[in-house]
Amino acid sequence: MEVITRDRPAFANVQVKMQAGDKIIAESDAMASMSTSIVMNTRWNGGFVGAVLRKLFGGETLFVNEFVASEDSELIITQPFPGDIECMDLNGTSLFLQPGAYLASEPGVKMGVSWAGFASWIGGEGLFRLKVSGTGKVWFGAYGGIFVKEITGPYVVDTGHLVAYEPTIQMKVGMAGGLFSSFFSKEGLVSRVSGPGRIYLQSRSIDGLATWTNRHLWR
Amino acid sequence: MQYEILARPASSVVKVSMNQGEHLTCEVGAMVAMSTRMTVETTTQKKGASGGGIMKGLKRLFAGESLFINHFTAQSDGQYIILGPTMMGDVVHHRLDNATLIVQGGSWLASDPDIEIDASFQGLGKAFFSGEGAFWVKCSGSGDLFMNSFGAIYPVEVDGDYIVDTGHIVAFEDTLNFNVQKAGASWIGSFLGGEGLVCRFQGKGIVYCQSHNPSSFGSSLGPSLKPRQS
Amino acid sequence: MSFTITQRPDFALVTVQLQSGQTYHSEPGAMATMSPNIELKASLKGGLMSSISRGLGGESLIISSYTSKGGEGEITFAAGQPGDALHYALDGSTDIYLQRGAYLANSEGVEITSKWQGMRGFFSGEGLILLKAHGNGDLFFNSYGAIIELDVEDDVYVDTGFIVAFESTLNYQVTTLPGARPGTNWKSLFLGGEGLVCRFSGRGKVWIQTRQIATYLNWVHRYRPVQKSN
Repeated sequence: MEVITRDRPAFANVQVKMQAGDKIIAESDAMASMSTSIVMNTRWNGGFVGAVLRKLFGGETLFVNEFVASEDSELIITQPFPGDIECMDLNGTSLFLQPGAYLASEPGVKMGVSWAGFASWIGGEGLFRLKVSGTGKVWFGAYGGIFVKEITGPYVVDTGHLVAYEPTIQMKVGMAGGLFSSFFSKEGLVSRVSGPGRIYLQSRSIDGLATWTNRHLWR
Repeated sequence: MQYEILARPASSVVKVSMNQGEHLTCEVGAMVAMSTRMTVETTTQKKGASGGGIMKGLKRLFAGESLFINHFTAQSDGQYIILGPTMMGDVVHHRLDNATLIVQGGSWLASDPDIEIDASFQGLGKAFFSGEGAFWVKCSGSGDLFMNSFGAIYPVEVDGDYIVDTGHIVAFEDTLNFNVQKAGASWIGSFLGGEGLVCRFQGKGIVYCQSHNPSSFGSSLGPSLKPRQS
Repeated sequence: MSFTITQRPDFALVTVQLQSGQTYHSEPGAMATMSPNIELKASLKGGLMSSISRGLGGESLIISSYTSKGGEGEITFAAGQPGDALHYALDGSTDIYLQRGAYLANSEGVEITSKWQGMRGFFSGEGLILLKAHGNGDLFFNSYGAIIELDVEDDVYVDTGFIVAFESTLNYQVTTLPGARPGTNWKSLFLGGEGLVCRFSGRGKVWIQTRQIATYLNWVHRYRPVQKSN
């Protein structure tokens, strides 16, 4: 199976060249176009309880699609919003993904939910977060361009700009400034992350787009 | 008529250079900037060498609104106009040579006035609408045609058959047969899996696809927006 | 202070390195990331009077201010909309007029006030309400879509929805194009700028954007939740 991420960074999409028997899993509504020799099966996202929890708290859909090829075929996978897509090869390692970031994965990758803490819920991100682990490649995407930071100590991130982070990263939600400043600056709550580890960030946020749009919706 | 596509591939605009007497027909709201010796006329009429006449079916199918277009005419040499589409994405040029291209309504940006534009085209059926506001424009004749996409545009040369999710079709040659069908192995699976309906193209011809689906984007953003009255 | 602008032109991100004790100002909500030693303060910048005049321009009365304490610090700014960002070094000789919403951030030494174009040809929606940046320091402005720089020599028409910023050396006049009209039947809820253009003449730079808000709002309207009436 040959996988290429093309049209980076603004409208990244994944071109999958499959041979007979190859299988790839993708989130709901991710297929843009494909050869007729590929069969799409829809299934629960990893167990009933997990799927419901993920839907309620993790923001992911209840269903994923499994694509299986019966001969040489091509599949184009995409995400709902414009932006970049990153690929990580998990080799027993794991990664936490923000809601909406998960795009696709190889069959050896396990998807689970893990407790994110009350601070995360207060920060609007949900009580649980999506954790991918196991063996194989996982593709995750951003709204906007992706930039990576290796951090050792603390760092402040507007929560809507966080895409994914390694399990070694500690996360706390806090106020951006003092009470007046946080409220009026519209930064409000931010994530205070601390390393060591890697964080994946996006240069736009859906919240930011919604705020900008709402500001102009005068009727 | 020369053209240059700028700010590719995601914020693309097209700069069209025109000499005296040359015309261009384009979507209202698309004009970004232009030199000053150009005239513009907003109309529902068709202009061009083959004479005037009402463009067919410019009333959209379900909203009943008329599709207004702008005709630009260069009054002297060395004029230019920069056109920008509504959505983020790319602009592509297609040279029609006595052929027909069926273009998704929101993807038609501009064309040579000699190209026949027919927005009453219903061949795809109501079931084909991917989201509110979708309609199809049949472009026939010869001349330059400019289309835009939400996402990267990738042409697929179909020789046999190929499946495209309905929201990802920009345009296709009318030499192709098409069939709307369910995406997955089962109907329930198709809808739960989010794909719903797809289009299966058969035969020989080009399908212009876009990497992203405007209604998926709109639906993911919608819940965060200010509610509307109706 | 040094800066970089990355992810151009579609999702531009401005990264600024601050010296210890240095302060930067930005549009509220624009901060994406920052070093932990940067102190954020929301303030009525420059005292009450300039805040009020800025309010007439449609910009928020509140400005976010960031000061790096006890060492250097790094901060990144991102607009809410997809698009570009540019830096301009103000040196007191030329001012910059910006469309409201184009303002992103500035260093100390720069004063932002509003300038009202006047009622002639004013449309609800964009109109031509401008901010003026004056002084000695750095200005960052952003756009919706990519920024194209036009070095004006011959006169040019720019649709008002696509103006980002321009140098004060230019003459500008808001006018309508004869023959163009929004179209009486066209159900356009938000389009304000169609047919309303700004004619630039003289010498200087005008920065235009490749997408406009009005057509985007028209498209996104259908995805808004419907207000439930009791």
